[in-house]
Amino acid sequence: MNRMSFIVVAAAALAGCSTTPDESTGENTPPPGSTSGGEDTTFDHMNDGISPWELVDRLTKEGPPRYTSHVHSCSKVRYATLGNVLRSVGVNTDATDAVSAGALYRGGANAMGSPNYANRIRENIGITTSGASRMFDIFAAAAPEVIAAIPTLARCQVGGTPATLFNSSDQCEPSGIACLIGVPATADHLDLCNLTISGASTPDVGKRLAVAALLAAAYTCE
Amino acid sequence: MKKLSIMLLATASLAASACSGGDAAGGGDDDTGSGSGSGSGSGSADEWDQLLGQREYDYNAALKTAALRLTGDLPTMDEINQVATATAESKATVYGTIVRGYLDRPTFARQMMVFWRDTFKMGGTAEMDAAPAFAAQLAVENRSYLELFTAAQNTCPTYDATAMTFTAAACPGTAPTAGVLTDPGAMKQFFGNFAFRRVRWVQETFDCLKFPVEVGPAQDVGGASPYLGVWPFTSISGLETGRVDFQDASAVVCANCHQTINHVAPLFANFDMNGAYQNQISVPTPLDGAPPAELTDYLPAGESLAWRFGKPVADLPSLGATMAADPRIAQCGVARMWNWALGKTDIVDTLQEVPFETIQSQVETFAANGHKLKDLIFAVYTSDDFVKF
Repeated sequence: MNRMSFIVVAAAALAGCSTTPDESTGENTPPPGSTSGGEDTTFDHMNDGISPWELVDRLTKEGPPRYTSHVHSCSKVRYATLGNVLRSVGVNTDATDAVSAGALYRGGANAMGSPNYANRIRENIGITTSGASRMFDIFAAAAPEVIAAIPTLARCQVGGTPATLFNSSDQCEPSGIACLIGVPATADHLDLCNLTISGASTPDVGKRLAVAALLAAAYTCE
Repeated sequence: MKKLSIMLLATASLAASACSGGDAAGGGDDDTGSGSGSGSGSGSADEWDQLLGQREYDYNAALKTAALRLTGDLPTMDEINQVATATAESKATVYGTIVRGYLDRPTFARQMMVFWRDTFKMGGTAEMDAAPAFAAQLAVENRSYLELFTAAQNTCPTYDATAMTFTAAACPGTAPTAGVLTDPGAMKQFFGNFAFRRVRWVQETFDCLKFPVEVGPAQDVGGASPYLGVWPFTSISGLETGRVDFQDASAVVCANCHQTINHVAPLFANFDMNGAYQNQISVPTPLDGAPPAELTDYLPAGESLAWRFGKPVADLPSLGATMAADPRIAQCGVARMWNWALGKTDIVDTLQEVPFETIQSQVETFAANGHKLKDLIFAVYTSDDFVKF
């Protein structure tokens, strides 16, 4: 029996007794707030932990640790790594234009959960609405830069041959998509890309949408 | 812990049965991780085994994740194609060769700095980077993880973020040296009353558990709830010997946690608010006027310092040696590396537990191989669980 299991069991037991949520963890750890100081005590230390209800919800959705510990989770791309990825696909992260991808990236550290070590806070690698929104904004803004840069990227060349995102018929090319997303392009990738272009108001708009969508899909999880 | 859990499980089950007349949500889990969560609505054992069995090898997906975590960047097209075009029989070898190359790149040092800053919750200045840099250096140089607790010199290296290199350096001051346990930056970062925050940092970072961590049979100490420790209840100070009543049981039982904390904390109490080691206790108390702590505030006279009950220590180097000899410490290190590789949030803060059975082979190989960090990381990033999706 580990700590997590007991919290779950205790939460279930408490739920059976009352319809009022009880924030007690039900384990040996004192319940949140119970170690706060008062007039007659000399100590005041935070002991809040994960809520048993949140834990039950997570276990219900994701499965027990003996399963989840074997599989990849969908953590966000770390802030610094996202900067490297953007540069790797041709984005100038030093750009000063307020709506450029670089400026959006540099100004988005807090929204994307970067660490605050002065306050003993590590980087939040969970996906949040604010973080994902900012990241998608960055990808949308970056699309024109990426489209222009792909043929020049040394990382994406094979035997001196540059990667190509689109052919002369405005169809997506596997080499360019693989360069963008970091894995070989599949038929589904190509279909999605081509569908996005054909459904847009103009091919150029479609290309930008396709690149942004591929980036968003590829880098929502690290 | 196991006895407590069983007892509390029984209590919880009875409570549920008494109230609802239905089945208690029973898990079959134990400390080795088997059978977790069956009562949480998360399904039967077979269901999860079947899901695990449905995963397939995808070395290109693994390569992308490995590249992002180990180098901080995307794989090159050449690397992508090497894996994609390899025969089924050779994919693992080709993938492993590329991952080994990632571990030998300078960028691995940068990624290790990120990992250890996050793990230690500190960094960003030379002072605060010393402990993460030492840990990162151990990984880059494939040295023993246990040096985090036992190294007696050069535990405050500097890190050149441009060159992504380390330069060995001793920590400033006169403190005895025991890996990162005596790091001035860490002592400053986790300064607080009685040095308790430092103890909590050591406990949660290196043992992967929140307090309380030593649990025994319930004992009636006259409070609202029983004392559940393994140390004698009077082995820590009450108002008879100190100025803070750690034997208070009127609400929560302080001793459940402080039985352990108070036997460790005095070891860290000579570091002042700037992390500088002094010849006397240099941390305050939460009493009026914040007077400095005294040894008798923690423990009655004659009580020894200790890592755990039955594991006495004399000073910080012996604490480090005792921690290094505790198999849970190495297991925690493996679990943290495992969670990093698989994209999990923190093992303590978010209870992303790794059952021992999941990492048993990694832990055993790690121990047999001298706790070499880079080899551990390679093993994790080439494990079946990492390359299957």
